[in-house]
Amino acid sequence: MSEIANPSRARILRRIGTALRDKTSLPTATITPLFAPVTNSLQRFVEECKANITETIVTRDGAESGARLRLVLAGIPEGEVFAEDTPEIRQLLQGFDGNLRWSSDGPPAESSRATITRCHALVALTGSVVTSSACGGRGASVVAPVHVVIARQSQIVPDLESALKLVADEGLPQKASYVGLITGCSRTGDIEKQLVIGAHGPQRVVVILEVNS
Amino acid sequence: MTTAAQEFLRWATEKSADLKHRRILRKNIDHYDHSLLKILPTYSNYEVARERSATIRHDAVEHLDQYLLQFEAKIQERGGHVFWAETAEEARAYVVSLARERGVKRIVKSKSMVTEEIHLTPALEKIGCRVWETDLGEWIVQLRNEPPYHIVAPAMHLSRVEIAELFREKLGGITSDDPKELVEAARLALRGAFFSAEMGISGANFLVADAGLVAITTNEGNGRLCTTLPKIHVVVTGIEKVIAHLSDLAVLWPTLTTAATGRMLATYKTMIGGPRGPDEVDGPEEFHVVLLDNGRSELLADTEQRDVLRCIRCAACLNVCPVYQQVGGHAYGTTYQGPIGSVLTPHLRGPEFDHLSYASSLCGKCTSVCPVKIDLHHHLLQNRRNTVRKGRRPLSERMAFRGWRWLMMGSGRYAWLSKLGLRAIRVLSGMGANPLKKWTEYRAAPEFPEKSFREMWRDGDV
Repeated sequence: MSEIANPSRARILRRIGTALRDKTSLPTATITPLFAPVTNSLQRFVEECKANITETIVTRDGAESGARLRLVLAGIPEGEVFAEDTPEIRQLLQGFDGNLRWSSDGPPAESSRATITRCHALVALTGSVVTSSACGGRGASVVAPVHVVIARQSQIVPDLESALKLVADEGLPQKASYVGLITGCSRTGDIEKQLVIGAHGPQRVVVILEVNS
Repeated sequence: MTTAAQEFLRWATEKSADLKHRRILRKNIDHYDHSLLKILPTYSNYEVARERSATIRHDAVEHLDQYLLQFEAKIQERGGHVFWAETAEEARAYVVSLARERGVKRIVKSKSMVTEEIHLTPALEKIGCRVWETDLGEWIVQLRNEPPYHIVAPAMHLSRVEIAELFREKLGGITSDDPKELVEAARLALRGAFFSAEMGISGANFLVADAGLVAITTNEGNGRLCTTLPKIHVVVTGIEKVIAHLSDLAVLWPTLTTAATGRMLATYKTMIGGPRGPDEVDGPEEFHVVLLDNGRSELLADTEQRDVLRCIRCAACLNVCPVYQQVGGHAYGTTYQGPIGSVLTPHLRGPEFDHLSYASSLCGKCTSVCPVKIDLHHHLLQNRRNTVRKGRRPLSERMAFRGWRWLMMGSGRYAWLSKLGLRAIRVLSGMGANPLKKWTEYRAAPEFPEKSFREMWRDGDV
């Protein structure tokens, strides 16, 4: 649709403007943090991941990360694996002889067995992964049953405030049409509130986390 | 024709006596209470979370036009379209004509109460589109041809056995009522819809003004797929959903998730700012945001109840409400149920829903749990007052209150008439014409003592 006429816009704005001539007030809240400060970021991140059902694999260098990544891929049913096309991930996947599709060749297929991407940050307080469409696209973190995230310890931020600050500071909303936090694997409680893992998104989220040696 | 008020009474009578319904409702709410008890100690002070959330939403509502314009400009900058709809009809017409112009045949939807409010799905089906709700609970009620029962948990009234029966009938191949098997069946059934749909429709939890993002919360991942795979993404939401800053989400995200489900953070916190970018791998080619007014700007003009627009639709007020806990969600006959629905619906849909202001014991528990501190129970009282002021109560009630007032203004006549009244009740009950029948039908009849308090006082009995 080319921009269609929208006379309601002006009418709604006029009504809002008129209504807001009368202000209402609310006692200002004390700006104290919602949660106790995170002290050991790495330990907290790993603990929170365990609680929200994200697998973490802590490694000491790229070689170990590559070996562990290939081990994860060897453990899932055969089929196409989708990977974000970056030099780092290409390096990690050297020697992987399975069926591979790179993000430079298009989005992941419906039948992808796993997806491998980077991330922008990890949040210690909640065990979350900060991702965006710049990490292999929108579908890369949601269409396959397994999502593997390649990350480093230096990417861990303590809490949600710092994660959102990083999103703004790095200009992610300008660079990527999707930005998101992923906390655990796909789940539902819609049947008698019983937790079931793996609704429409990944049943497994695996973070391969290279720590500073 | 029955009125909405009569329907409410009929449902409420039926449902509050339905033991199976009570059991399933209790089980779900117990689960919520239990999760909440576990999560609250992880906060330094949950009251601070409520206060800060209220402040953020208050600021947003007080600067609604400014933030909406800021949001709109950012979305348009990235090639998205923003459409402002005054009425439900106008919002429906926009989405319907978009679907028609683009030749859309298949549509996947992630959970959106505003699309329920405007009855979008039937309008799209009318032009020949097939529409799938993809949130599991929403899909279950869609298959049953029912409206959502609860703002957050649409299929909360159904047992696993009923859901298994439904799936057996609609999908086939179901062997047990194990939720795991049922979820897998739903996943497989909806997978094809996600990958073949030409349009995805979602709601929004927040519209972030400074960053120009639509923030959506889901657990299943259906919201992610609806906003990733189809070539057109349409967001349908209310004008009140805007917030000023991206950083506000650090407060609102956990508070919303905690109030809604008793967890700290839902699985997918999704933020979308536009269509697929030129260098991006995937994503919709078109991105539309429909901003719905539908009575909200009138509520904004009502300074006494403006705070209702702060609502983040967490449904905490439903879960704690002693009325909701007895009658359940369908009795209300509204898109939004429970205390927030009872406050909001008369504003959105007019005097036909005045009766909902009385569907409350005014206990105030809703107000005490609201994460954005809406003064819900006082608003119910104000709505009652407004109904009376506008002369929308029956003459008999007005006369009765006038009589009551007269009675209460003189202690002599009060004493004399209450004694007479009591005697009349006794005599009439003896004749089988109990005047308190409406009360005693569902409650034990009180036993009236021989002497009134006045007489006891006079005779030195107290």
